[in-house]
Order: sequence, then C-alpha cells, then structure tokens
Amino acid sequence: MSVADNMAVSVNSNPPPRAAAPADQLVKPLAAVVRPQRNPENRRDLFATAVVVIVMLIAMEITSRYVPDYIMPSPVTVWAAARELFFADPYHVGVTLIRLTAAVAVAMSLGVLIGLAMGTVRWIRPYLKAIILIDTGIPALSWMLIAVFWFKNPETRIFFILLVILLPFYALNVYEGVRALPKDLVDMIESFRPSRWQVLRYLILPHIVPYIFLTTKSVIGYAIRMVIFAELVASAVGIGARMNLAQSTFRIDQVLAWTFFLVILNLVLQAAVNAVEKVTLRWRAEAVVR
Amino acid sequence: MIDNLIEVKGVTKSFGSYLAVDNLSMVVRRGEIVVLLGQTGAGKSTVLNLIMGTTSPNSGSVRVAGFDPHDSFKALKGRLSVSFQTDRLLPWRTAVENAELGLLILGVSKPDARRRAKEWLARVRLDGADDKYVHELSGGMRQRVSLARALAIDPEIVFLDESFSQLDHVTSGTLRRDFYQIARELGKTCVLITHRIDDALEMADRAIVLSQPAKIALEVHIDDAARADPARIAELHAQIAAAMGGEESGS
Repeated sequence: MSVADNMAVSVNSNPPPRAAAPADQLVKPLAAVVRPQRNPENRRDLFATAVVVIVMLIAMEITSRYVPDYIMPSPVTVWAAARELFFADPYHVGVTLIRLTAAVAVAMSLGVLIGLAMGTVRWIRPYLKAIILIDTGIPALSWMLIAVFWFKNPETRIFFILLVILLPFYALNVYEGVRALPKDLVDMIESFRPSRWQVLRYLILPHIVPYIFLTTKSVIGYAIRMVIFAELVASAVGIGARMNLAQSTFRIDQVLAWTFFLVILNLVLQAAVNAVEKVTLRWRAEAVVR
Repeated sequence: MIDNLIEVKGVTKSFGSYLAVDNLSMVVRRGEIVVLLGQTGAGKSTVLNLIMGTTSPNSGSVRVAGFDPHDSFKALKGRLSVSFQTDRLLPWRTAVENAELGLLILGVSKPDARRRAKEWLARVRLDGADDKYVHELSGGMRQRVSLARALAIDPEIVFLDESFSQLDHVTSGTLRRDFYQIARELGKTCVLITHRIDDALEMADRAIVLSQPAKIALEVHIDDAARADPARIAELHAQIAAAMGGEESGS
C-alpha cells in the first residue's frame, strides 16, 4: 500500500467533531449582498441597436427611391426576398450552420490540445509555437486556393480552410491562459503533491475555460465570414454559394437577404455562446464598472 | 515512529549571490507547535520551501518524517499541508469543493471526500456556506475554507505561512484561537511562519526567531504557565522583539 493509500485510510477513520456554533448568521446577509443584479447596460445596448437598425432601414428606403433596384432595393423588397429564401432555401442555411459548427468544434478541440501542449510541455513548445505563428501569417485567401488544389471534396475543402484559420486562435489563447495561471494557485495545488493529470484536471482545465469562451465569442463573426468565403470559392451549396448565384443573376435583394440571415445567425450564435458561458462561469463575480 | 518529524541540519541556501539561509539547524518534534518569526526577508519562506521540498539546499540536509522532502517529493503526499498567507482558493469551486480538493488528490472517493470536507467546514465554523462560491465569502470565511482544506487530509504536519496576517485583528484572533484548539485536540505538529509576535505568544510551544540571512537568533520555550503570567509574556515579547531587531509587529 502506498503512502497515499495509507493516508486515504487514516483520513476516513478520523472524522472531526462538529463545532457548536454554525456560521449561518454570518453567511445569510453576505449572500443577500452578492445577489446578482440586472445589468442596466443590456437594456441600453438593445435600445441603441434598435435605433441603429431603424436609421439604416430609413436610409435604405430613401436611397432606393433615387437609385436603380440593382443598386439598392427597398427594405420591403429585401424582406420579401428574405421570406422567399427562408421558405425556399432553408437547406443552405442548415448546411452553412453545420459546416460552421463542425469546424469550430474541431478547431476548438485541437486548438485547446495544442495550447495545452504549448503551455505544459516545455520541449514541444517552440515547435508548436513556430507552426502556429507560420499559420497565422498565411492569408486566408492562400488557404482557400491551396484547399482547392489539395482536396477534391468540397466539404473537405471548406472544413480544412476553416480549421487552419480558426485553430491558431484557440491554440494561442489557451496557451496564454496556461501562462496566466496564478503562481499562488500552482504552489497551492503542488503542496498536495498531485500527479500531472490531477494538476491538469483540478487547476489548468477549469482555468482555461473562460479563455475558450472568449475565443469562441471572438471568432464566431470571423468564422461566419470565412465559411461564406470558402463556400463561395469551393462549394455549390451553402449561403456563400447562394450569394454567388444571386450576384451572378443580379439579385442584390437576395444578396442583402442572405446578408440579413448572416447577421441574424451571428447574433443567435453569440447569444447561445453567452448563455452557455453564463451557466458555465456562474462562479465568476460580475463586475459592473460605473 | 519518528519523534523528530522535521530535522534541518546545517542547511545553507543561496539564490545567486544572495544568501537566504545560513547554516540553519533546527528540529520540530511530533505534536509540537513551532513558530518561526523574523522580519520580512529573513528567509522564513525559504525555510518553509526547503521543508516542503519545493526547493533543495545548497548544503546540509532536510528530513521530514524520515524522507528527503525534495528527492522523495511524492513520498510525503498526504503527510504535509499548508495554509498560505492568502486563501488561494480555486474561484470556480464552491467552499466545500475547495475543502475537498486535497482529499480528491489523495484518491479519496468523491462521496467520502465531500462528507469529510463538510465536516471540516463545520469544524472551522463555516457550516451553511458549503455551496457558496469564493467571491461570495468574506476574507475570514475564505481563510477558514483554506484551513479546512489543509486540515481535511489529516496531515501529520501543518504549515501556516502568515495565514492570519492579512485579516483584521478580531478575525485573525478568532481564527488563531480556533486553529490552536483544533491543532491541540488532534495533536498536530504545526509550523507557523509569521512576523507577528502575538501569534507566537498565543500558540507556540517554541518560538524561533530568524535573523537575516536565516539562522537562529533566539529560541524560546513557551508553556501554558508562561502564557498565564502577564509579566512573563511581556518579558518574552521584549526578548523576541529585540531578537527581531526591535521591529516587532502585529501586537
């Protein structure tokens, strides 16, 4: 039996007696003080967004009266095109969404693994850092063209393009997360003489979760733009491909309608990530800066 | 059973040209509460790190429970624990989850660890706060969780590294008395590192004053009879303050 096993036995055999005075009275008022409050910023943000949208719609309407339809259609025409596309082409929205989700999920998983390796395995760090830095220096357009040469299958092309573009964001941010580990906490957990796996499980992984959320929120908009580009270059289905078709048939109303869907998609995905983040990071005190 | 749980013999430790510990020798016996006092920079934390095995001496030897704490780092798993100057709680874990951390690292099953952690939170007078996150606890409550985490693994030796120094006077005094009662009741061997003379006078069986670089400037034994005698306490206070270079603090 190891020392640790011996300790486990002795720990279980000696329960301490309970104290006479509970601290309930101390805790309850404190809990009341830290009850989460609604952030008034949210309502103001929503109002400002609504104002901007209304101003844009008015500007569109006014412009559409003075220029031809193929330059700027009226909001009503765009709305009609959006309704038509939504009912006629939902398949393309679904395809784009699946491509995006799959690529972000895989980029996240691989990026986290690479970031962890960079942060924790000293000998491998310079090699991975070099690979990631070279990757970040290659323009997205180069990757798109390379993918067209390398892969026949459109799905593989798009997946590859998104992966190589998104992966460095996760790897670098997770690496920064590991580097930002407070030394105090490392010393604390080391005082229990844990295994490497236990340090990873109890300290490093929970610590990098906010970094993963931050990266995801940062890359969603970028990832949507990239998937549209990739579809435009490398596929016949998906929103990007349909925008290409709309452009070649001079249907600017459809281009704007697809753009409208992309903005909505971005907002929905951001809201979804925010909701998951709020639940996952409920341990974090929300600071409101005056 | 080894009687001298900690043996430091002729230890010297330097960092580059800076000599932190100079030929230090000391012994801590089983069940003893020893307080290491010294000014800031006296090398108290270096001594703690040497005993914990997180650093190794340039010369001399350190033995803890018969092991070299640096070379046999894992052999002392579960036998030592530390409560630090700051609480060092993991913010993503609740009070009870923090208290059970050491037990989980030792391989205690999850339900058992949870039960033991709850018992220890009650023992340090924090029952009712089990499910609070760190940001929902006051400074004193956090330090109590930190103590529960250190004690829950039932270590042979408990180190307190300035654990009460960042708390206000009243909270610090209450926590100090609670810890003293628990340590005495369970017969724990404790090494307290502090710059507060009050901590030593109230808790120590033996107070060791370190000069800079760390070597013993004064060693005094303090028993209950001395503690009950205000004149003796005042005399000890003055002796320790003088050995610390007249810069006593925390009274």
